[in-house]
Amino acid sequence: MLKYILTRLLIFIPTLVAISLLTFIISINTPGDPVDSMLNQSSNTGQSSDKLASEQAYIEQRAKLGLDKPLFYFSFTNATYSDTLYRVHKKSHRETLEKLSFKYGNWPQIANYYSLIKKFENKLFLLTVSEDLAEDFRKLKEFTNSLYTTADEKTASTIISNIDFIVNGDREFIPVRPNFTALQKAIISIVQNQSPHQHYIPKFIWYGLDNQYHNWIFGDEPWFGQKESGKIYMGKGFLRGDFGTSYKDKRPVSSVLWDALQWTVLLSTLSIILAYIVAIPLGIKTAVDKGSKTEKSITATLFMLYSLPNFWIATLLIIFLCGGDYLDLFPPAFSLGKLPESAPFWDRFIDTSHRLILPVFCLTYASFAFISRQMRGGMLNVIEQDFIRTARAKGLKENTVIWKHALRNSLIPIITLFANVFPLAISGSFVIEFIFSIPGVGKLTLEALTARNYPIVYTVLMFTAILTLIGNLVADLLYAFVDPRISFSSGKK
Amino acid sequence: MTEEIKDIPTIIEERESKNAGASESYWQIVRKQFKKNKLAVWSLRIIMLFALIALLSDFIANERPLMCTYQGNTYFPVFKGIAVDWGLSEWQDEFKNITWKDLEFESVIWPPVPYLPQNLDVLNSNSVSPMDDQEVESTRWKHWLGTDEIGRDVLSGMIHGTKTALLVGLISMGIAALIGILMGSLAGYFGDDKLKMTVASIILNVLALFFGIFYGFGNRSYTLGEAMAEGMGSVVVELLISFAIIIGLLLLANLFAKVLSNVPFLSKKVTIPLDIIISRLIEIMVSVPTLFLIISISATVEKPSVAIVMVIIGLTSWTGIARFMRAELLRIRRLEYVEAAKALGYNELRTIVKHAIPNALSPVLIAIAFGIAAAILIEATLSFIGIGMPAEEITWGSMLAMSRQTPSAWWLAIFPGLAIFITVTVYNLVGEGLTDAIDPKQKK
Repeated sequence: MLKYILTRLLIFIPTLVAISLLTFIISINTPGDPVDSMLNQSSNTGQSSDKLASEQAYIEQRAKLGLDKPLFYFSFTNATYSDTLYRVHKKSHRETLEKLSFKYGNWPQIANYYSLIKKFENKLFLLTVSEDLAEDFRKLKEFTNSLYTTADEKTASTIISNIDFIVNGDREFIPVRPNFTALQKAIISIVQNQSPHQHYIPKFIWYGLDNQYHNWIFGDEPWFGQKESGKIYMGKGFLRGDFGTSYKDKRPVSSVLWDALQWTVLLSTLSIILAYIVAIPLGIKTAVDKGSKTEKSITATLFMLYSLPNFWIATLLIIFLCGGDYLDLFPPAFSLGKLPESAPFWDRFIDTSHRLILPVFCLTYASFAFISRQMRGGMLNVIEQDFIRTARAKGLKENTVIWKHALRNSLIPIITLFANVFPLAISGSFVIEFIFSIPGVGKLTLEALTARNYPIVYTVLMFTAILTLIGNLVADLLYAFVDPRISFSSGKK
Repeated sequence: MTEEIKDIPTIIEERESKNAGASESYWQIVRKQFKKNKLAVWSLRIIMLFALIALLSDFIANERPLMCTYQGNTYFPVFKGIAVDWGLSEWQDEFKNITWKDLEFESVIWPPVPYLPQNLDVLNSNSVSPMDDQEVESTRWKHWLGTDEIGRDVLSGMIHGTKTALLVGLISMGIAALIGILMGSLAGYFGDDKLKMTVASIILNVLALFFGIFYGFGNRSYTLGEAMAEGMGSVVVELLISFAIIIGLLLLANLFAKVLSNVPFLSKKVTIPLDIIISRLIEIMVSVPTLFLIISISATVEKPSVAIVMVIIGLTSWTGIARFMRAELLRIRRLEYVEAAKALGYNELRTIVKHAIPNALSPVLIAIAFGIAAAILIEATLSFIGIGMPAEEITWGSMLAMSRQTPSAWWLAIFPGLAIFITVTVYNLVGEGLTDAIDPKQKK
């Protein structure tokens, strides 16, 4: 038995690694720049001091989030990809440069071009012009800024000729002319020295252990011994219980998640218990009375309930029962009580318990229908078996036959369902939490996804996966407990 | 005695034909059992009705007339509109940028619902109830199911929503079935012990896959991205090219492997535990809740589209089908006739495709029926919460979401929800009917 559990736990490792990679890939591919969304930066058309300050803030923030590290241990790309590209700060700039180098295959020239745009822009910000040129100057800055994100040759040449027109249009722009000429030359040299076939050559880049993935899982603080003084660490890593910091409110993910988890666990536990309490007797009843009229109508109703989309029911309940233009039985479900968020959890719970009735109902009815249908199926299978006939032939009371002999054996399908309870408890029901504005894990994750709050998405996905794996293991063990014929010690892999 | 001695191929053929005959009658039994279930038969009819509505949606609800006479000429604007959408034709100058309703026709036949889902009826904006008085010329122009906040016709949205819902269900489950049947039958048929490959072909195949992905996807990522922006047609073409590159490289690898199979070290045969590999893959997929996974992946898509949602649902929900298929093939591969086919020296591919898979398909059919219901529900959920589906796409889910903004508009909540409910229920009922029909315990 112990050996079996240990083997199963060992098998978890590759599965978890794969899931962590999947999560990581999902997160890094989410569009948008998390640093930008954290800083809420305005565009770079302000004063030079503003621009420098905001750029500095961006770089610092990026370093703080650990996003200035390479993504992974290695990278398998084409020969045009530079192994220093990750050092470019802005995500949008990185993407443009990657595209350019893919297209022209000459990274040195492109890097030179990038640094020349930067120099030109910096020069522009040091320049002051007279009032009547202000509009031109503003446009000039805008054009220059748009060069950072232009990878298309035609667009680039239009922008360049626009800049050319302004820069050579007035004497006041003379100081920046040399920089602009250099920039123009850089573009010509990119096009002249291009070797586009380069991207057909595969290339393998090794980045080493100091990368974003490694820091997320293992952390960069030393496992043993002292921290180096003066060095800034990212954290202890997922394996040591450090899930990082939420981008949105800069709180530790564990505490954000803990707050959300309380609501979700509360809701799911209530709904699961309710569902099982009602479903098991009902399932047995419909199995025993198979063929009767009540049974048929109950089964049909259960089937309907099972197919009713819970977000529809939730919407209808809110429209018709929560104030609005119709009945006013429940308070608007969009709030969770008057108490502030800082109030103790149980006080808030008592205050809001009557607001929980509708969400719990919506979470319960579908699973309840599902469980009773499973229970009925399991029971029907058992009732037809010989030992039940024997028990009846022995003269046992019908109740004893059903509740003592049949129930134990028909519980097996129900146990498999129990495995799903674990992940359900954490991921909750996205839609129900979304509709009723319950600050649970589902709503948290939805918000994190749209706000590109990766650390939360990582953590929730990983936890759901771990819980599902554990749930499956527990279900298998429970199988053996309910049905002694199943044994893990021999024969079974 | 001599009569009973037959050569082996004849015996096999007899078995096969016997089996084929048996399987034919098996399907007859399934059909008979299914027809006994009145509810399932009616559900199937409702599905067909919905499919008809989806197919004819442009003719049922459209802003253009079905047929009209305008300035002495007869036109069929709905047909024309479809041709224009497909890029086969262009509008005549007099029909460019016009409001069809305002034209003076000599004679005209309008579709039953004279609105497109995106048409704004300014006179009837702010959610007009179907029961209230509407600002329309006649009952011909009445909004039978009311309008939404900006004056779009709900009935038209419902009719065109049918198309999206059924397409999502069918295509995503088509993708899922392809992957699931492939994965499941490979795992089930070969198990952990049956797939033997030479060292050379393992190395070469892995290399080919690696380079195939590199040249097929890594190197073409910008081309694929541009195709995505252009539309469905070019995406399909570009994806086909990518897959052709991968398949070509794999074929090349196997050709080389044949040549190399004479080298002593490289020709050593190794058993590949295919079942373990695929089962682990399924376990990984299953350990993240599907809806969670789909929402996460949908959030990474820069430009949401229905096609991408279909692909995502298809790529994430094949595990159920694969499990069914695997279990069936694990059973079938031990049956006599497969052993016999193998003994005869038929190659593996032929044995799997021609003999093993057709016999395992029936439970997969059940999984597909339930899968379509689940896919439609997922699409509705995504539209409802506004992730992954384009904002301008009018679906049942997005209409239901609008009712959250205007709680007084009960028609926005009831009708789309009802449509989702009915569709999901009928597919579930068909799945249920199939389960009963295919369940061997009832087959008497």
